[in-house]
Amino acid sequence: MAEAVYILCALTSLACAVLLLRAWKRTQSRLLLWSGLCFAGLALNNVLLFVDLVLLPTAVDLYVPRLITGLASAVVLLYGLIWDAS
Amino acid sequence: MLNPMFNGAAAMAWLACSLFFLRFWKQSRDRLFGFFALTFALLGGNAVAGALLEVGDERRYYIYVVRLFAFLLILYAIWDKNRAVRRGGG
Repeated sequence: MAEAVYILCALTSLACAVLLLRAWKRTQSRLLLWSGLCFAGLALNNVLLFVDLVLLPTAVDLYVPRLITGLASAVVLLYGLIWDAS
Repeated sequence: MLNPMFNGAAAMAWLACSLFFLRFWKQSRDRLFGFFALTFALLGGNAVAGALLEVGDERRYYIYVVRLFAFLLILYAIWDKNRAVRRGGG
């Protein structure tokens, strides 16, 4: 069950990233670009989550890379909101 | 020591993003922004929960259920927006 949630997290965040980046290509709205990049980071974060908790043995811990990709995604969006959108 | 700091920084950043979208929503009344604000508030709460729960805590799994719900909310928001555009709304 947990594995299914991790996979679905990765797939839905990837779908969000693709849809937002496609919308950015169509409309050239910069806010959509930053949101799309943020969700691309979250997709990477969720893939790492699956690899860490399901694929890799417990001896290998990817908690810090997961924290960093999550934080980086948030910071990318915040940068876009502060410099581009307002 | 470093991990709770990363979690706290992420929580703060998500909540700041959420407030930006809340402002856009108040200005434009566009539901897309409202959904974005809600999603990023959920992700902020997620980061706080991640910092507070121990790594071995069984409830940790629910963090990712909430996260999945947040992503589904964004997908719904984009679908909702596309539908409105097709209808000629906006």
